[in-house]
Amino acid sequence: MAGNVGSDSYESHMGVIRDSYDAPGLRLAGSVRFGGVPLLADVTLDLAPGGWTCLLGPSGSGKSTLLRLIAGLDTGADFDGTIIPSDDKDLSGRVAYMAQDDLLMPWLDLRGNVALGARLRGDPVDWPRLDALVDRLGLSDHAAKRPAKLSGGQRQRVALARTLMENKDFVLLDEPFSALDARTRADMQDLAARHLAGRTVLLVTHDPMEAARLGHKIYLMENNALSEIPPAPGATVPRPGDDAAMLSHGAALLERLRT
Amino acid sequence: MTMADRAPALLDAEESRRQARARAERIARWALPLVMLLGTLWLWDRIVAWNEIPHYILPGPGRVWDSLTGDWAMLWEAALLTGKITLMALALAVAGGAGLAILFNQSKLLELSLYPYAVILQVTPVVSIAPLIFIYVESKTAGMLLCAWIVAFFPVLSSTTLGLNSVDHNLRDLFRIYGATRWQKLWLLQLPSALPYFLGGLKIAGGLSLIGAVVAELVAGTGGVGAGLAARIQEAGYRLNIARMFAALSMIAAMGVVIFAALSLLAHLLLRKWHDSAIKRET
Repeated sequence: MAGNVGSDSYESHMGVIRDSYDAPGLRLAGSVRFGGVPLLADVTLDLAPGGWTCLLGPSGSGKSTLLRLIAGLDTGADFDGTIIPSDDKDLSGRVAYMAQDDLLMPWLDLRGNVALGARLRGDPVDWPRLDALVDRLGLSDHAAKRPAKLSGGQRQRVALARTLMENKDFVLLDEPFSALDARTRADMQDLAARHLAGRTVLLVTHDPMEAARLGHKIYLMENNALSEIPPAPGATVPRPGDDAAMLSHGAALLERLRT
Repeated sequence: MTMADRAPALLDAEESRRQARARAERIARWALPLVMLLGTLWLWDRIVAWNEIPHYILPGPGRVWDSLTGDWAMLWEAALLTGKITLMALALAVAGGAGLAILFNQSKLLELSLYPYAVILQVTPVVSIAPLIFIYVESKTAGMLLCAWIVAFFPVLSSTTLGLNSVDHNLRDLFRIYGATRWQKLWLLQLPSALPYFLGGLKIAGGLSLIGAVVAELVAGTGGVGAGLAARIQEAGYRLNIARMFAALSMIAAMGVVIFAALSLLAHLLLRKWHDSAIKRET
């Protein structure tokens, strides 16, 4: 494995990744307990500024709990610690979220769903930008359809459009691609990586290959511990699907998960 | 799917058999009940004729038809009155039931204080409350409305409450992240989510408000506001005009069917674009 996780080399790659957008990093540090039972003690999760951080672990390991803590959602857990962006500004209102479930409102049509965030903030919807976004994601033929008339992959693209419409510094992805078929999943990974370039992304996943393909930084969560693992070589994500180094890195991650 | 799309599929033997079955079922859906109705009417007519039953005990369907057409003006006027009370009660049941459901949803305190009494009101037979109502409520119309409302509001309340509480947890999370206010959550998330449940309750409430209106008429009598269909049935009974009793009864039944059909149509129109219960699958 050629991966070198030294933060220096990582920073030096940032010029390649950074688009016009330049999001700060984020650090979660502290302990998580479930009703007195410790889930994680004194852990630090550092999100790569403007890049993809993958949180890999088996189902039920509590990865989503960390993501939900950052999102400010109920977790049923007690968190004792801090969650601070590296620019020291307040985190609230700077987070976008996408989950395995597409979270579309079934009664709104595609455009209405993409416009939801602006509508909830009481902002005027930037329809030209929205339509351009819908077009870029290849959804313009379906703009007037309701979610029930869309396929699973199309619905997840709508969810991505809504997440992009939000234009937030931090994007939290909770296994958004895991319910999709292999081809659609790869397409979605490409789309997400391209359009989220420059944002600070946290991707929770149980798929080692996904982590190898997308991660600038990889954390493994198992047995109530969090460990950082070097990413696959290459600073531009998504790494090509047939990249041999990436594939062997993914296989090594899988072996690591199985031990 | 257009006919042109269908044409090649017809070549397939199994497909054509399946379509023939679907067509037969479509025809049977209205033909079978019709045959059933005609058979029953014929049997009814024959039983009366064969046994020479006097018409003041059981009139034949012909006599009931004569009464329906002969007394049409009177029966129609009665139907309008009953219909008016029913619809007004239904409107109040919707306002009251949905309104209470929203209040209960927003205030746990209110729900804990009032919900048991809503249940008590529901489980007490309205026939036993109605006489008291007409002692204390002076206006006949108001009394009848109150009776019908008591029967009809509960299904709206309980199904709307269920709907407001059945919002997908993930969607709640999304609204939380978007920083939605309590009112936005109510208007943009909970109320649309509750709509299918509300419409289910509404269908039941439609039938119940008719029952409530009929019970109220029977208890209230005819003084003051004129006679509705139930009062006409009672009055015809005193006169042994059994044919008119049947005629008025059939009108009440027809009214119930019309209300149910109208509410089903309303539900379909509101949900057909997005709710699983109303979406036609293309496969």
